[in-house]
Amino acid sequence: MPKILLVEDNEMNRDMLSRRLQKRGFEVSMAMDGRQGVEMARAGGFDLILMDMSLPEIDGWEATRQLRAVPETRTVPIIGLTAHAMAGDREKALEAGCNDYDTKPVELPRLLAKIETLLGGP
Amino acid sequence: MSHAESGNGLSPGALGELRHDLRTPLNHVIGYAEMLLEDAADPTLAERRRPLEETLAAAREALGLINDSLNSTRGAGAREVLQLYDALRGPRTRIVQAASALLPAADDGADGTFTADVRKILAAAERLAAPTAAPPAPVASTPDQPTTAPPDGAGVRRARILVVDDGAENRDVLRRRLERSGHAVETAEHGRRALELLAARPFDLVLLDVMMPELDGFTVLEAIKGDPTLRDIPVIMISALDEMPSIVRCIERGAEDYLHKPFDPVLLRARINASLEKKRLRDQEVEYLREVARVTEAATAVEGGTYLPGALASVAQRADELGRLARVFDSMVSQMKAREERLRDRVQDLRREIEQARRVSKDPGPSLDGGNLKTGDRVAQRYEVLSVLGRGGMGTVYRARDLELGEEVAIKTLLPEFVSDTRLVERFKDEIRLARRLSDRHIVRTHDFGEWSGVYFLTMEYVEGITVRALLDTRGRLGVSSTLALATQLAQSLAVAHRHGVIHRDIKPQNLLLDAEGVLKVMDFGVARLAERSTSMTEAGLVVGTPAYMSPEQLMAEKVDARSDLYAAGVVMYECLTGEPPFQASSVMSLIAKLLMQEPRPPAALNPEIPPALSALVLQLLSKRPEHRVQTAAALVEQLAPLG
Ligand SMILES: Nc1ncnc2c1ncn2[C@@H]1O[C@H](COP(=O)(O)OP(=O)(O)O)[C@@H](O)[C@H]1O
Ligand SMILES: [Mg+2]
Repeated sequence: MPKILLVEDNEMNRDMLSRRLQKRGFEVSMAMDGRQGVEMARAGGFDLILMDMSLPEIDGWEATRQLRAVPETRTVPIIGLTAHAMAGDREKALEAGCNDYDTKPVELPRLLAKIETLLGGP
Repeated sequence: MSHAESGNGLSPGALGELRHDLRTPLNHVIGYAEMLLEDAADPTLAERRRPLEETLAAAREALGLINDSLNSTRGAGAREVLQLYDALRGPRTRIVQAASALLPAADDGADGTFTADVRKILAAAERLAAPTAAPPAPVASTPDQPTTAPPDGAGVRRARILVVDDGAENRDVLRRRLERSGHAVETAEHGRRALELLAARPFDLVLLDVMMPELDGFTVLEAIKGDPTLRDIPVIMISALDEMPSIVRCIERGAEDYLHKPFDPVLLRARINASLEKKRLRDQEVEYLREVARVTEAATAVEGGTYLPGALASVAQRADELGRLARVFDSMVSQMKAREERLRDRVQDLRREIEQARRVSKDPGPSLDGGNLKTGDRVAQRYEVLSVLGRGGMGTVYRARDLELGEEVAIKTLLPEFVSDTRLVERFKDEIRLARRLSDRHIVRTHDFGEWSGVYFLTMEYVEGITVRALLDTRGRLGVSSTLALATQLAQSLAVAHRHGVIHRDIKPQNLLLDAEGVLKVMDFGVARLAERSTSMTEAGLVVGTPAYMSPEQLMAEKVDARSDLYAAGVVMYECLTGEPPFQASSVMSLIAKLLMQEPRPPAALNPEIPPALSALVLQLLSKRPEHRVQTAAALVEQLAPLG
């Protein structure tokens, strides 16, 4: 069962996305801000990270950069999520080290496809 | 038409933020609806599908509207935003209706999670397009002003609201809604009545219909915004959907917000609360500025000498920074006043001592003679010599009349040996130029340096008074209070001079004049420069007067700075308090040796009336090393204030 770390400050988004992912067989852990996200990710054991970009404490871009800077999380796939959907956000996320990027509101089938690609098949 | 709408566009940042604010609740609606729809794949739950699909469709429509309208490449202005908010009403209502339809079916308790999720959809819909301009909560609002929590709105204040509408049902609906929210409501059926009520009583908010007989809403709005006493009351316009252009007009004229008929209770509450909160913050700001103005006025009063301590008492009660400023300001002014009064008392004591001294001493002045000038001489065709004032180390000092200005001056002539070295004279001139800039009531003004018939002279302000030397010679020593009066004024004059980069170098009782009012005037600022060469230790035999007031570094011809003046001030204080200088010897050489090697006896040991703190302060000023002394004259003023 693939393990996903969901880093998201908004309670409703967290609730929603985690439940939908769990229903599809993922084991989901949750972090509420960037700092907690980095800590949990570095503790290890995740197959993929879903990272909201606008987060308190440390934002998603910075958190991603920090995760890419250390060996234990350098290769864990990260998908960046943002509600802004502004031009340039995608580039910014990829630059920070995200493997892929999606906008909120999440279209679950599209996100699932991205997750599955990054996990190397179902 | 000169509309600002094109230039009025939102910045890309603001646009992104607004889009985020609008999309976040939709994101929640869509997410939960999709999730519930997935669950409803179960045939037993089939009846949930339609309302959920409708919810989802409405939310997606809203999302499309937002994306179309708040497009970063096209830009958006106030008008577009207003129109978008309007357009979102439809989808939003459909979301609420569809989701609400799911509630009764679920309320039988069969599926608690489902009900909770539907409520989340409804809560998210409520946040959609609620006024986003609600300002952040104020910092210091809660502790001092308890809020009365109204029945259905946490943290909302009870407000006085005026509802102006010609439709009786509208008035009634609004009154009931607002009263249920805890507000006090009055109604007016037309514009004229509204203006009467506004003139009669204070209101916190006006809800104003646009279309009315007699005086329409636009005219009432103009009247309110044109009246300085009413201008700050927020006005929310009430309108029908097809009145968009007039709403825009009203907002341009200063209306705060608008509401559509029929009223949506959630929007109504949100917009009214936001407006009231904004007004409250604005009121706070206005009040704050008023109090800042009072502090500024108080500062002006202090400068004019008319400030009454306690005048800022009401501002000082504030819990914020301004309150602290007012408290600090008030206590500083009180301290200053107390200090001034104390100094005035001390100067009175000094004055009494001066009077007594004058009664005893016979003025020997004019009997002296034998200087370079004679009574009646016209020096430089300008000064008529009147009498001899005294004779010092550099020459004789005369009282003279400045024929040009018609006032009395003192002319100090300089013995030839002091002016023979032209380099030294040049340096002296520089020093005089500096000293001339000093203007203070405790500093004798220096006027000019000149030469007449081979006599070099310096003119300066004439001070009718007695030198501290003469005072000490007749009275032996001074009281503690008189000494503090003298020392404070001396320190003040040094502070001024040092601030201008002028070091006196020759502070001694002969250079301290006291007028009949007890005001100290320090003379000869900079003059000692001329004598410097002959006062160093190597030529001690030629020393001008006595080195008793010279600091060790001055005697050793080391670097002299402002702290040398403070040493000399310490010697003067020592002598005033005890009646004798800190070091005494039968020869100049042994005096210099003592001065460099010995510690003075504490003044308190010679005169038990001297408070220990004052005795210690004098000893500190007499430290051999400059870095051990009080470091500045201004600091000395401060340290003298609480003594005695
Ligand atoms: N500006 C003045 N106004 C009134 N009296 C003065 C003034 N300047 C000097 N005197 C008198 O002349 C005396 C001699 O002054 P000065 O030559 O400066 O003496 P010293 O060299 O001891 O400082 C002073 O003690 C004072 O009595
Ligand atoms: Mg003098």
